[in-house]
Amino acid sequence: MSDKKLKTASPNTPNAMMLRRTLFLLIVCGIVAFAVLGIRLFKLQIIDHDFYETRAIEQQVRQTTVTAARGTIYDTNMKILAMSASVDDVYISPAEIKNNKEDPELIAQGLSEILDVDYDDILAKTAKTKSWYQTVARKVEPEVSEKVREFKNKYDLKGVKLEESSKRYYPYSRLASHVIGFVGSENIGWSGVEDYYNSTLTGVNGRVVRAKNAAGTDMLFTSFEDYYDAENGKDVALTIDSTIQYYMEKHLEQAVRDYAVVNGAAAIAMDVNTGGILGMASLGNFDLNNYQIVCDDAKRIIDAEQDEEKKKELLNQELFKQWRNKAISDTYEPGSTFKIVTLAMALNEGSVKTTDSFYCGGTTDVPGRDKPVKCWKAAGHGSQTLTQALQHSCNVAFVKIGMSLGAEKFYEYCEAFGLFNGSNDPDARLSGQTGIDLKGESGSLWWSKKTFCDVNNKSSLAAASFGQTFNITPLQLVSAVSACTNGGYLMKPYVVKEIFDPDGVTSTKTEPTVVRQVISEETSKTVCEMLEKVVGDKDGTGKNAYVAGYRIGGKTGTSEKVAQDAAGGAKEYIVSFIGVAPIDDPKIALLVLLDTPSNPRIFPSGGQMGAPTVGKMFTDILPYMGYEPQYTEEEKATVDKSVPDVKGVEVNEALSKIQQGGFTSRVIGTGATVTAQIPAANSVVAAGSQIIVYCGAEPSGGMETMPDLTDMTYSLARQHLGAYALYIRAAGPITNPESVVVISQNVAPGTQVEHGKVVEVTVVDNRDKGIY
Amino acid sequence: MQSKNTALKDHSRDLSISRGTVDIPFLLLTLLLLSIGVIMVLSASYASAYYDTKETGGNATYYFSRQLVFALMGVAAMLIASRLPMTFYRKFSFWVLAAAIVLLLAVLVVGTESNGAKRWILIAGISVQPSEIAKIGVILYFSTMICRYKNYMGTFKYGVLPFVIILAVIVGLLFLEPHLSASIIIIAIGAIMMFIGGARLFWFVGGAIGVTGLFVVAVTVLQYSSDRISAWRDPFADTGDTGYQIVQSLYAIGSGGLFGLGLGQSRQKYLYLPEEHNDFIFSIICEELGLIGAALILILFALLIIRGYWIALHTRDRYSFLVCTGITSLMAMQVILNVAVCTNLIPCTGISLPLFSYGGTALLMQLAELGIILSISRDIPIKRAAKKRKQEDL
Repeated sequence: MSDKKLKTASPNTPNAMMLRRTLFLLIVCGIVAFAVLGIRLFKLQIIDHDFYETRAIEQQVRQTTVTAARGTIYDTNMKILAMSASVDDVYISPAEIKNNKEDPELIAQGLSEILDVDYDDILAKTAKTKSWYQTVARKVEPEVSEKVREFKNKYDLKGVKLEESSKRYYPYSRLASHVIGFVGSENIGWSGVEDYYNSTLTGVNGRVVRAKNAAGTDMLFTSFEDYYDAENGKDVALTIDSTIQYYMEKHLEQAVRDYAVVNGAAAIAMDVNTGGILGMASLGNFDLNNYQIVCDDAKRIIDAEQDEEKKKELLNQELFKQWRNKAISDTYEPGSTFKIVTLAMALNEGSVKTTDSFYCGGTTDVPGRDKPVKCWKAAGHGSQTLTQALQHSCNVAFVKIGMSLGAEKFYEYCEAFGLFNGSNDPDARLSGQTGIDLKGESGSLWWSKKTFCDVNNKSSLAAASFGQTFNITPLQLVSAVSACTNGGYLMKPYVVKEIFDPDGVTSTKTEPTVVRQVISEETSKTVCEMLEKVVGDKDGTGKNAYVAGYRIGGKTGTSEKVAQDAAGGAKEYIVSFIGVAPIDDPKIALLVLLDTPSNPRIFPSGGQMGAPTVGKMFTDILPYMGYEPQYTEEEKATVDKSVPDVKGVEVNEALSKIQQGGFTSRVIGTGATVTAQIPAANSVVAAGSQIIVYCGAEPSGGMETMPDLTDMTYSLARQHLGAYALYIRAAGPITNPESVVVISQNVAPGTQVEHGKVVEVTVVDNRDKGIY
Repeated sequence: MQSKNTALKDHSRDLSISRGTVDIPFLLLTLLLLSIGVIMVLSASYASAYYDTKETGGNATYYFSRQLVFALMGVAAMLIASRLPMTFYRKFSFWVLAAAIVLLLAVLVVGTESNGAKRWILIAGISVQPSEIAKIGVILYFSTMICRYKNYMGTFKYGVLPFVIILAVIVGLLFLEPHLSASIIIIAIGAIMMFIGGARLFWFVGGAIGVTGLFVVAVTVLQYSSDRISAWRDPFADTGDTGYQIVQSLYAIGSGGLFGLGLGQSRQKYLYLPEEHNDFIFSIICEELGLIGAALILILFALLIIRGYWIALHTRDRYSFLVCTGITSLMAMQVILNVAVCTNLIPCTGISLPLFSYGGTALLMQLAELGIILSISRDIPIKRAAKKRKQEDL
């Protein structure tokens, strides 16, 4: 065809070269180029399809999280310990502020006033006009976010936004802070129950997936929307009783102050029959609502530090220290409190009998040990019965008891008491935990079986017999002692007693777990009887724990901190006391542990510091638990009593009422009936205090300067105060008013007080000084 | 459509004394692409039209209705253009180019400035890009020159110099706007005209070197263009700024897959992809219609272009041949470069997709230019004979 064309070509027709070149263009522009484009499209749309689609969808879709409501934490009486409430996060969308020509200064001004956020910060955020999301304030309370909403609506601000969020509230703030734990910013529990039961409490967050346009709002005409329902978290009820917890913390804090405890303190109350934890306190504690605020003392140290890096480091150190649950996270040498366990195993095994007698000359030799073991009383306890050996907390006697049992048996029992997990490897260093449902439980530190059961070297056995040279957690001691006193059953400790399903109907109760029976019921009974002698007898080293009207058993403990000793510093002690009550039918075991008391006026020992603290706790806890005090005649005379109401009563009748109440009286005025009284009716004051009765006359209303009562005996302090028309009461048991001395008072010396003011004092029996 | 065809037939009957009917495949391809194009403008633009409160007042069909009006006007312009004889175009070719140069000068003074460039000028209330007129001006007048210098096209003095001077003037003016993409197209179209006009291949080698050098200078002088080069090489290096547009285009194309998301179902048009209804309309096509739809449209374009060249190859008149090849090449270049930009084969430049991209005057011009090809097609003798036979059969 082109040949034909060429032949007929006229000067005005395109020549052959032109046609050739056009054909070339046709091939290049009409075929080749399009083929290239087609291949390119194939590459993009088929081969790389997934890559681009994933990224495209990523930007086109907006996921809104529907936060599942976190479960509530209740105490054993369904008092709320932790709850979540709906709050709002306030944020701005600088891009929309710009697009809608909203006034950044107005927004910064308004929000800074409502939310108490820095004006310049907000203004700086509004300048990031490419951003769609700049947080201004998180977890804003409803009443404040309502103001934000009003502000937003008033000026029709599209760039100001609120997003629903939830906030954790702890109504009791500091109470049981280590047990409850707290929740971090991402709704994740960080410690305690909040951590251990995080998945139970959290539930499953829901999601809403929506298509959005580049402006961040919903796509037009697109019904692309997916819902994933949120599943609310479960509520849990703890075995913790907030009232018991409160009493424990109150007295533990008092003890920390009174004895100038440097390294923190812990207390655990356990239901001996179930293993349920009734209260668990570790000091210093912290406000769960502001868990990142350190205590004032620590803050002062941190503020004093100039270097920013060190400051940060110090703050972190302090935070981790305050978050640490000493009761389960720290291990220590239990010292003499462990003698209960030694006693129980020896009695159970029959290697000692209650009728055996033990001689203590102050020291005893131990095979494999260079120096003999010393008793805390250098002069020795002389000849003593088994009960007396426990009362005296005699180390020499307990070394003998341990020896009588033998290393193998001792070892087996310790394993049975849950102090470590056995191993087939005789060289393995051993460790164990109770398995409590709390985060942060540490493991014990035990010798290898080979070392402990060395026939030629009994030094480990000897030291272990009185609770030294191994480390266990306070909780392990409490559960072992519970097993010794509850009939012999080792219970697994727990803090969550019930988990409620979100439907509000069904729930799962925690059944108490018996790990094993370690000793017989009879042995347990004998141990209880002997423990009562430690507290209830005037010769007992635990008498400071005595509570008038109650039968309490217990054991003191004082352990030297070995590491500190080795470092060559001053001797430091951990003093402790474990009490069990009522000892005739044990219900509660209560351990108090004070790490490094530094008050030089009081001898650092479990008997001087631990026992009175436990006593004070029992004074509050036992009546709360429904145990009525059963006073002896002698006790009735010394116990604190409630002042009768005699106002308006005829004088003689009033005086007899006062006398019946266990008080003395002084009458002022000559009237026939009582017109006023000091102190006020129903005040609780020491028995034998003098009540001032006004008949016709009026109280002077005078003020007195509070005297310093420190180091006075209790009865002297009472008389001393009486002279000022002030009254005394003890913040704990008074074993002997003539021998116990005041170590602190709840009204500072020098304070101006009214007549009739009741001063609460802490006393301690200061006679026996020893590491027991 | 029906009435148009009837009208067309009526007209052809009136004037068919000396000329045949227009090339039906070319006309149908044009109208088919135009129809798809207008529909795609609706689909691509309604989201941005809805959200835009300034220009469109939130009217989702704003761009579509305007495009539709211009398309109808364009079809009318095409039919008118197809009526005019080639002698008419040849006679006025110089004045078209002259007018383009005057407008290119004028736009520098009274042009509407946007994004730092003056490319638009208002004429009788309609905004026009003088560069569009320059393109057709170059085709028409270069064809005239080639016919005039037909015996000297092998020489430098006649075959190269006058053409290069004219191109230099136009490109110089475009550089002042600045308007890089139009410069590229005009240089290319000028070169193609010279190529088919018979200039020696030797000169194209030199020209290619010269143009490349010019391009390098332009890139180094205009900072935003060097950004485009780096965005082209690695669009994901800066997805937030320089690479944003091309990345969004690739997302659209890539997520289309084989069958696409369906007509109207694009997600990238929801303010993600800028210029989605003009320069990047092809990306939305890929997203909504998939590889199948996009390939079909490319095939239609390829057929239109091949048919354009086919018409050129069948003309008996050298001037018609040159104009037809020129216009077809112009169309081909715009389609190829536009799709190449959307798919990131070449750096991003503002080249619209003929018959698809939103833009009234450009569409009008394109249809008028295609009308010129239709006019040329009427002079093909073989075709006329075949048509007549067919009509007689009917």
